[in-house]
Amino acid sequence: MSRTSRTMTRVEKNTPAAVAPRFSPVLVGVLAWWVPGAGHFLQGHFRKAVTFFVVLVAMFAIGLAFGGRLFPFQFADPLVFLIALAEWAIALPRVVAGLGGWGAGNVVAVTYEYGNTFLIVSGLLNALVLLDAVDRATGRKPR
Amino acid sequence: MTTHLGVMILFAACVSVVFGTLMRETPRDELRLATRIFVGLVGGAYVVGWIMYLAF
Repeated sequence: MSRTSRTMTRVEKNTPAAVAPRFSPVLVGVLAWWVPGAGHFLQGHFRKAVTFFVVLVAMFAIGLAFGGRLFPFQFADPLVFLIALAEWAIALPRVVAGLGGWGAGNVVAVTYEYGNTFLIVSGLLNALVLLDAVDRATGRKPR
Repeated sequence: MTTHLGVMILFAACVSVVFGTLMRETPRDELRLATRIFVGLVGGAYVVGWIMYLAF
């Protein structure tokens, strides 16, 4: 056994998620996209999963409460398209808010731009969380 | 909480917690990094705010 593989084995044994079953990176990615923290939860990182879920859903809810807008996909306006893409990076809250009729956007509210910022950043942060979960599932990062 | 400062602190707290949790593995290290990011964001905003106030 090479030194590298011995190190990897030791790292894997020492991580709390070492006993968790391995899941397909695609499954982990899709679940992490839909529910913030679900990818980490599947792999046994329960504390991280709860932290991501609470903080990211809270950020999304704060964005809506501040009067932020859920932008539709508009190919004619690249910036609006990118904003919509970022908001869709956190799927379940986006779908729930859309179905609930929230996120119309209160343009005259003092906090309108802050709300948009919270909505966009919650999606972008979930994209980073998703990539981290997939990296753990593929073995690029210690589980 | 709808003051500029309040919203900035809320935003910095959320972002720093996520980055701290994402980039470190132990709770102690996560808390340390989150605190550093939070202080950096809020302190940086204060410094930039004062520079803009005094210079422009």
